[in-house]
Amino acid sequence: MALRAAILRHIRVPARTLALDGSRMQAWNLFNSIRSMSSHDDHIDKAEVIERVLSVVKSFPKVDPSKVTPDVHFQKDLGLDSLDNVEIVMAIEEEFKLEIPDKEADKIDSCKLAIEYVYNHPMVG
Amino acid sequence: MSASYLARRAAQKERVRILYRRALKDTLNWAVHRHLFYQDASGLREKFEANKHVEDLDTIDRMIADAEATYNKWRHPDPYIVPWAPGGTKFTRNPTPPSGIEIIYGYGREDND
Repeated sequence: MALRAAILRHIRVPARTLALDGSRMQAWNLFNSIRSMSSHDDHIDKAEVIERVLSVVKSFPKVDPSKVTPDVHFQKDLGLDSLDNVEIVMAIEEEFKLEIPDKEADKIDSCKLAIEYVYNHPMVG
Repeated sequence: MSASYLARRAAQKERVRILYRRALKDTLNWAVHRHLFYQDASGLREKFEANKHVEDLDTIDRMIADAEATYNKWRHPDPYIVPWAPGGTKFTRNPTPPSGIEIIYGYGREDND
C-alpha cells in the first residue's frame, strides 16, 4: 500500500506553467525520502475501509443495495440469516486479505463492527 | 423456554456457524475456480437449510457431531492460509529483533584507518 502511494505521489506530475527559461527539471527520484517504502505509518484510511466494506455488502445477492448504510445490522436491518452473516464475513475477509479467527468472526454482526474490526487490524491489504 | 434450553440452543447455533464457516473455506480450498466454488457452496447451503427446522436438542447435537466428522474427513491437506497468519508461510518469518542490539559498522577500522 505504501509503495503504491509513494509511486503515485511521485508520478502525479503537478501542472505548472513553464517559465521562459523552462529549465526547471524536476529530478524525479523515487527514493527521495529515505523511508518512502516503509509502511510504518501508512495505515489505511477509514473512508476507504467504509467504502470497500459497503461495496462488498451491496454486491451480496440477497441484499437490497439501497438499504446499506455504515450502521446497518445484518440480521435485524437487512433481514439476513446467520449463515448469510457467515458468508458476508468471509467475503470481507477475502476483500481485505485478512484471516479472522473463528471466535472473532462469529461476533461480527453489523457493518459497524466489521468496519471497526477491519480498521483496527494491522495487516489490512 | 428455560434458560438452560436457550443456552444450549445458543451454543449449538454457534457451533453450526463455525462449522459452516470452516466448511465454506474448505470448499474454496478444494474448488479453486470460482464457478465450481459457487456451485459447491450452494450445495453446502442447501444441506444446511434442509435441517434448519429441527427442534429436538439431542437430534441437533447428533447432526452437528456427524457434520463435524464429515468435515474432518474432507479437510484439504494443503489449505490456503493468508501468509502472515499462523500456518502461513510468512508467519514469524522476520520477527523484530530484540531491543538493545546495535550493529557496529566499520568493525576493526576504528583505530588507525
